Amino acid sequence: MTVVHPFADAGQTSVPEVLLVDDDEINLLLTGLGLRERGFKLSEAGSGEAALEMLREWTPDIIVLDALMPGLDGFDTCRRIRRMPGYENVPVLMLTGLDDDASITRAYEAGATDFFVKTTQWSLLTGRLHYLLRASRTRIELERSKSKLARAQDLARMGSFDWWRVDRGTRGGLRTSPEALRVFGFGPHEEVSLRLILRMVPHGDRRAFLRLLHGALKLSSVLATDVPVVLLDGRQRIIHVEAEPEFNEHGHGAGYTGIVQDVTERRQAEDRIRQLANFDALTGLPNRRQLIWRAERALEQARRLQHQFALLLIDLDRFKLINDTLGHGAGDELLVEVGRRLRACVRHSDQIADVAPDGSAAGARSHRALEAVGRLGGDEFVALLPEITADRDAERVAQRVLEALREPIFVSGQECFVTASVGVAIFPRDGNSVVDLLRNSDIAMYSVKAQGKNASAIYSPALASQGREKLELETALHKAIERDEIVLHYQPKIDVRAAKMVGVEALMRWQRGSVLVPPNDFMPMAEDTGLIVPLSEWALREASHQARVWRDAFGFNDSIAVNLPSRLFERSDLVEHIHQCVTASDVPHRVIRLEITEDNLMKELQNVIPALHRLNEIGVEISIDDFGTGYSSLAYLTTLPISELKIDRSFVRELGVTPQSSAVITAIIALARSLGLRVVAEGVETLRQLEVLHRLGCVVMQGFLFSRAVPPQDLQTWLEQTVLPRKAPWIGAASDADEVDGSLRAAGARPLR
Amino acid sequence: MVSVLSPEPPNGGASSPPTLDAAALGRLRELDPDGRHGVLHRVLLAFETSLMRMLVQLAAERDSGHSGVVLSVAHTLKSSSASVGALQLSQACAEVERRLHAGAPGDLQADVERLMAAGESALVAVRAMLRA
Repeated sequence: MTVVHPFADAGQTSVPEVLLVDDDEINLLLTGLGLRERGFKLSEAGSGEAALEMLREWTPDIIVLDALMPGLDGFDTCRRIRRMPGYENVPVLMLTGLDDDASITRAYEAGATDFFVKTTQWSLLTGRLHYLLRASRTRIELERSKSKLARAQDLARMGSFDWWRVDRGTRGGLRTSPEALRVFGFGPHEEVSLRLILRMVPHGDRRAFLRLLHGALKLSSVLATDVPVVLLDGRQRIIHVEAEPEFNEHGHGAGYTGIVQDVTERRQAEDRIRQLANFDALTGLPNRRQLIWRAERALEQARRLQHQFALLLIDLDRFKLINDTLGHGAGDELLVEVGRRLRACVRHSDQIADVAPDGSAAGARSHRALEAVGRLGGDEFVALLPEITADRDAERVAQRVLEALREPIFVSGQECFVTASVGVAIFPRDGNSVVDLLRNSDIAMYSVKAQGKNASAIYSPALASQGREKLELETALHKAIERDEIVLHYQPKIDVRAAKMVGVEALMRWQRGSVLVPPNDFMPMAEDTGLIVPLSEWALREASHQARVWRDAFGFNDSIAVNLPSRLFERSDLVEHIHQCVTASDVPHRVIRLEITEDNLMKELQNVIPALHRLNEIGVEISIDDFGTGYSSLAYLTTLPISELKIDRSFVRELGVTPQSSAVITAIIALARSLGLRVVAEGVETLRQLEVLHRLGCVVMQGFLFSRAVPPQDLQTWLEQTVLPRKAPWIGAASDADEVDGSLRAAGARPLR
Repeated sequence: MVSVLSPEPPNGGASSPPTLDAAALGRLRELDPDGRHGVLHRVLLAFETSLMRMLVQLAAERDSGHSGVVLSVAHTLKSSSASVGALQLSQACAEVERRLHAGAPGDLQADVERLMAAGESALVAVRAMLRA
């Protein structure tokens, strides 16, 4: 008997269940039959009481109630049903008589969903039931989606509102969903006026917000903005407001409907992302990306308005040294302070939000907001001057930068003196793009470094060609070792009293084609590029080999002194390397003597000492070069495993010219003697110098007076032709000096030794 | 009063025997076109039982002067008698119900008599149908 009725709609998947309540069994029977035939599943109750009993166990899709029944009538039954949990929204159809107006009203009051006149026309009743079922489903879906929406809004910290103008007969004002109230920190049932919410906007922002509201209202335009608010509990939030205008039947703006959303976290995250993307985390200054963006904007503006703009590349001098000696923490501290000082050198602007991408928004001079100091990376900073009228403007800022660094910076408990080299490039003369300007400011900066640092220079094409030469030189130096272009020349050390050679110093030369490049032209570069390491290692190997060649040729049994930079002493494999070199050439370890400059030694003392001890243990002696020019700690000197001090050539040169030099030399000799060290005087060029040095007690010397540094094959010749035949003018000078000593002794003076 | 409880009520005079409305019966037959479920028989049987019970209630109330039971009976019988085609009874019920509902002055006893007469007549017709 179940037939799918044409009223049945697609939303209904199962057979609808109906509870039919009527005291009249005929009606119950007939209505039951009529509805069953039309696809409903029927359950019948003969009274209101019986119906309530049934509903405790089971919930129908719809309830059909006869209004007038003995005992509990339809109205009371309906009222009780509505009070049962879960039955608030179950559709209830009240059946009444055709002429029973009072019952219709009472039915609604009792909570019935609808009424229907008793009929034997079942299709009409069926239609009504289907309608009610569909409405009920729609209502359930609506409730569900409403609660989903509320949940989603809650999660998104969002709520809806509408606001209506006060118009003839209509009550205007703000209506807010409970979720919207929550966004503003209110409870779900609180009454909130627009005025109260506006008062939550901080004073400074309120005026602008009101202007925006009035503007939108006037034009009936869409409203979309973020507004800061201070909630009543003092929390600061940012609320996004988005609303669309509503119009009345005359097409006039009647109000707004929209949403509010708490976007504080999102805004904070966005701000943080923007900050991280554009600013250096250490110094807080604009980073490379931001600097380049600003420079591009400045360039566009300069091009359009036809003015000049300048890029200053500021590179700290010797920053690596600070980083290496005081540690990276101190290095960072120093960079922060430098950043702070550099900031003060320009009209630094952090806020450039009001500069539109085309740079046009904030007026013709808006590009001035681009002026800034930023950190390009490492110890490199850039000052951007978006508009200058002449080179001297940029120079003035460069001077200000150098001046700002003059005061010592206090890091890690000690004062540091930092200087910088500043390279300047000016648009349009020195480059037409940011890349060109950066490169050329870099060239200018390097020229400052090359000329002694702590200064500034404006780019010129001549600098660029110097730079190119330098680059070529660097490339060539890289290949010099493998091409066997590096050679060692040797300068003998002479014991003047015995008139014999007591060792040699190996000096590096670069045979570049037909040109012999002096060490001063490539050693700094070798130091800068790190090539000094392979070069030094080569020198050790070559010296060992040479000792072997000479031993075989003329019984060479002295030492060859090789100059090493301190960084090589820090290498853990130095001892092993020397061991390999001498073993390979089958010469004793003592053949190699290492020279380290006093300056280098003292700077890296702590790092170098362990290596000195290990070298000493295997028989490699250490000599301190350029002694007297640095600041040796005498306390350290007494404990260091060194065997020789080499008096710096500057003192020797001044001998007989200034009395101080002989005083210094006398002191060095006395010190060496008391420490049991050998003293070597370097740069001896005249017999006069020889005589004085000898008289002061220095016996071993080195200099042009005896021999220049010569290629290895020439040394043997020199020995054979000059020393052995005792033909050189200096031979005998020492013995003459001895005679002078003798006369002095005779005169009662103490000899100086 | 006597006749109410007798299984065979008197015919009600010289007039033709009371019948049930053909259209109403037609609608009932539509519920069970091939008669397989005996719908018509079941409905008429149920009506007979119900009607007899109500006529007894009415007889009991005839002299009491309480209109509540009379109104309830009239309301119930109004629609069920219409359903089986006892139109006279239905109409009588409707009129009595309307009057009592409106609280209009009138003779309750006469109303009861009228309902009972129409009820007896309907009972005859139903029984005739059931026997047919």
